[in-house]
Amino acid sequence: MTVKELQSKLKLKPLNDVNDKEIEGAFISDMVSDVMAGAQPGNVWVTVQTHKNIIAAANLVDIPAIIVVRNKQVPEDTLQMADRVGVTVFNTDLDSYSIAIKLYEAGIKPAG
Amino acid sequence: MVREKCKHSWKMTNVRDGFIVTERCYHCNKLRVFFSYEEVPPKDEYKEGEHYWNYAGSAQSFKFDMECTKCGKSVSFESLMGLMHCVGCNARCHLNILSQIGEMQNIWLFAALAYHLGNEIDLPIENLEVLTDYFTSRLRTPGKKILVVPGSLRHDPDTCRGEMLKDVGMLSLTPET
Repeated sequence: MTVKELQSKLKLKPLNDVNDKEIEGAFISDMVSDVMAGAQPGNVWVTVQTHKNIIAAANLVDIPAIIVVRNKQVPEDTLQMADRVGVTVFNTDLDSYSIAIKLYEAGIKPAG
Repeated sequence: MVREKCKHSWKMTNVRDGFIVTERCYHCNKLRVFFSYEEVPPKDEYKEGEHYWNYAGSAQSFKFDMECTKCGKSVSFESLMGLMHCVGCNARCHLNILSQIGEMQNIWLFAALAYHLGNEIDLPIENLEVLTDYFTSRLRTPGKKILVVPGSLRHDPDTCRGEMLKDVGMLSLTPET
């Protein structure tokens, strides 16, 4: 499934350009260090964090999309950096648990 | 120089959590950085030689080693505090210039910030290559490459505004004393 397909399936609100990269698996964590150590390339990352650190980590691990849960506002500098490195950032009202269920129902499996 | 026969395939091992702690001497304003494995980052003030060290901040991070899945070779990264992403704060900075050149070719630079006894050092070239190989080999985006470079490419570490990959402000997981 691509990032665009995921957006349409889960009705996610994109905050920057939506890329068409392939998604494989999901990783849920609010720690950048956790993502660097545990996330797999191609994972969609679910988090409450909005600092631009998350974009640098996503770029390092090759994460194509980040879903920011609980409608947290994402700063403009984070989105600018996301566009620079080609990572799509989504926003949703849902919490991590609810979005995890939706990801699973959409056929996205856990990381690893 | 003896070339190794194994075309290494690195995996991250021995991952351990802790805190990057920054201290500043209020006498001479010198900064130093170390990694703490304690459950709560130490915040004591103390005198050491001519310095009066004061806690200046901390962030959750982790340490790791790398091991080759083919030959079993292990590489320690004990002195590595983290990887830093350039934000382009200084037009004369070598890291900034190289990052911009790399970005045009889909090569993304990360500076390895390493410390020994509180003072910044550069990782050996071999270790930088291990990190470059590890992160690049995991990429799926065609043509993309990660290049890990020495922290000394920064123009001025004291004024550098680069983004170090660490967890700041994780209050729920960082008990305050």
